[in-house]
Amino acid sequence: MELQLGLRSLPTYNFIENFDLNNDGFEPKDQMLGSKPWIISCEDGNNMDNKRSSEVAFGKNTGYASRELPLLLWSGQPNDEDDWNGEKKISCSINKNGEEENRVEGWPPINSWRKKVLHHDQDQVRHVMNSSRMAAAGNYENGDGSNSKYVKVKMEGVAITRKIDLRLYNSYQTLTKSLTSMFAKCQNLGNDAARYSLTYQDKDGDWLVAGDVPWQSFMESVQRLKIVRNAG
Amino acid sequence: MLRKASSFPEEMLEHVLSFITSDKDRNAVSLVCKSWYEIERWCRKRIFVGNCYAVRPEMVIRRFPELRSVELKGKPHFADFDLVPDGWGGCVYPWIAALATAYPLLEEIKLKRMVVSDESLEVIAKSFKNFKVLVLSSCEGFSTDGLAAVAANCRNLRGLDLRESEVDDPSGQWLSRFPDSFTSLASLNISCLGAEVSFSALERLVGRCPDLKTLRLNHAVPLDKLANLLRGAPQLVELGTGAYSAELQPDVFSNLAGAFSGCKELRSLSGFWNVFPGYLPAVYPVCSGLTSLNLRDANIQGADLIKLVSQCRSLQRLWVLDYIEDIGLEELAACCKDLTELRVFPSDPYGAEPNVSLTERGLVSVSEGCPKLQSVLYFCRQMTNAALVTIAKNSPRMTCFRLCIIEPRAPDYQTLQPLDLGFGAIVENCKDLRRLSLSGLLTDRVFEYIGTYAKKLEMLSVAFAGDSDLGLHHVLSGCEKLCKLEIRDCPFGDNALLANAAKLETMRSLWMSSCSVSFRACKLLGQKMPRLNVEVIDERGPPDLRPENCPVEKLYIYRTIAGPRFDMPGFVWTMNGDSV
Repeated sequence: MELQLGLRSLPTYNFIENFDLNNDGFEPKDQMLGSKPWIISCEDGNNMDNKRSSEVAFGKNTGYASRELPLLLWSGQPNDEDDWNGEKKISCSINKNGEEENRVEGWPPINSWRKKVLHHDQDQVRHVMNSSRMAAAGNYENGDGSNSKYVKVKMEGVAITRKIDLRLYNSYQTLTKSLTSMFAKCQNLGNDAARYSLTYQDKDGDWLVAGDVPWQSFMESVQRLKIVRNAG
Repeated sequence: MLRKASSFPEEMLEHVLSFITSDKDRNAVSLVCKSWYEIERWCRKRIFVGNCYAVRPEMVIRRFPELRSVELKGKPHFADFDLVPDGWGGCVYPWIAALATAYPLLEEIKLKRMVVSDESLEVIAKSFKNFKVLVLSSCEGFSTDGLAAVAANCRNLRGLDLRESEVDDPSGQWLSRFPDSFTSLASLNISCLGAEVSFSALERLVGRCPDLKTLRLNHAVPLDKLANLLRGAPQLVELGTGAYSAELQPDVFSNLAGAFSGCKELRSLSGFWNVFPGYLPAVYPVCSGLTSLNLRDANIQGADLIKLVSQCRSLQRLWVLDYIEDIGLEELAACCKDLTELRVFPSDPYGAEPNVSLTERGLVSVSEGCPKLQSVLYFCRQMTNAALVTIAKNSPRMTCFRLCIIEPRAPDYQTLQPLDLGFGAIVENCKDLRRLSLSGLLTDRVFEYIGTYAKKLEMLSVAFAGDSDLGLHHVLSGCEKLCKLEIRDCPFGDNALLANAAKLETMRSLWMSSCSVSFRACKLLGQKMPRLNVEVIDERGPPDLRPENCPVEKLYIYRTIAGPRFDMPGFVWTMNGDSV
């Protein structure tokens, strides 16, 4: 790649003026291009000639030797006229809600239909869920109209923070059972499960031990969960 | 028609040709000699047009007078990711109008990424008396009114598949337009519909169509109704459930489990919107027979997910969210030895931090455990060259490898090197590779490997990669079978493109966006290559108002015998001799 740097000063566009893509219309006004237009084909044979003639064109003296030559085929430098310097080009796009997204447009390549449908789906699903009555019966609050309550769950010593939908559970027992199975596999807890406690952050920002208040109250106030190791 | 005495009768050749269905073989037959060309064209029944602008409908009709099935594709693939502005084109109406006049006996129309109006659907509904199959894949522009016309008029309809299309559905009543006497339906895919369909109409429809093998519902069909549908169609082979949540009631559960048990032919499952894990065991009876499982829309996590997947020992195809994690993929590798296709989608693609423990290790496990693995689509947040080399060695039969590392230009996270070597190993070892998508930090070197080794590659997707035109040149000059090339945000400019101009006529299409191709180069290419349409797509305004060496926003080049198109919106310019 060092060779490339040495060629930086060579012009990129001049040869295009003399350049003719069409075999018929080729005018050999530039002798340096050799007898064949060094354009087109993908056959190796032609490429070899092309490489030679391009070397002549750029005044190179090196003989055709190895696969390294393609570096010399070109003037080699990245196009000068753009601002590409290998830096990240992040386009800030404003999404439909007017929020500025510091995202690259169309990346990652997720089907846009799916994105739209998912948004739409969330609303539709809530509608459907309303009519089919939620699993966490008895904990369903008619007021807020939302049928899922996702909270983050962090476990001490585990890098990944998970998210769970609390409305899938109707008691501390089902919740802890699910959490145990979710985290145990990763941590190989097994019997060690007894040495952990479940804590939660309530609406006031305080961290409390889960299990002291009735499930209903817990559901109303929980903001996030944390599984901590017991002291001692 | 003149015939040599020594050639065998036309009818015999026609009979032989009736067994030749592949497009490539048919095309080869037609090139043997003039009389074979003539015989072949008169008996060709199916046509696939990969780019609706490559040819005019009249040309197809003139050459193939007896078609029964037409398949068309419209927008470029990157339209799936919002990179093609709305209104670019791909309107199917001119085709439908021409087909309606020319082929009254047409039976099948399959469209992908096209704009389909209700009017088009009405024409289809009323023009083809023996119409059997309509597939609208990733299409848009129509509503349930158009579907109602199809339902009401197509008496012999066997398949209606709306996969991934955007449908305006003001009314869920269109399904009721299938007459009571209509019983021929074999395949129905309405999974993309947003609104509820009339459940009683659906239930009656399903109940009276004994040939129904494929039923993909939308999320609006509630779980407690699923059992009824299944009992009405125990012969189902492919099922997409609706929403998979309900209040956990023992009778609903046992009803559902019983209904699933009765579906002995079930081989493919999908749907599972909003899963309530308590209901998952209802499908366990059918798991051992499943060959295809699509959990892409299912928010199942952890042990529930792993348990479900590990029971599907006959699985050949799995689509799943990254909730499966490395640990689930290890289990998959241990249980599903027939796996040929794996797609892992991101549950939180825009999150800054990983929300799941899915890394390169998961894919390595699968490549180790599943010797038949051929097709991979994998979204993850980290990768190493070593992992890619291992995967390449484990899966020499890979035909489709698409890796998406979510952060653009992410290097090998252990060595901080570009991933050139890893992808190089993929193309070198997987000699039958037909499709490849790159991601991560990549230099021109990876393109050198691709140009050298990927001799069967037909489709290549590139993003945020390469250092210079050399990269593009390697691909265009080396990949002999290249058909579709799509590039975004790469430092590729005029040189490689112009130097490989003739190559472009051997490919279906080239897409380049946010690259460095100048307007001048586009004009030159358009002028000199009459059999290419060189479309400049630029929403900033007319490119000739800017300096000629200014790069264009987006460029779409495709070979065509139809000449420039005339249905372009204001932000698309076709470069050719006269119109520029």
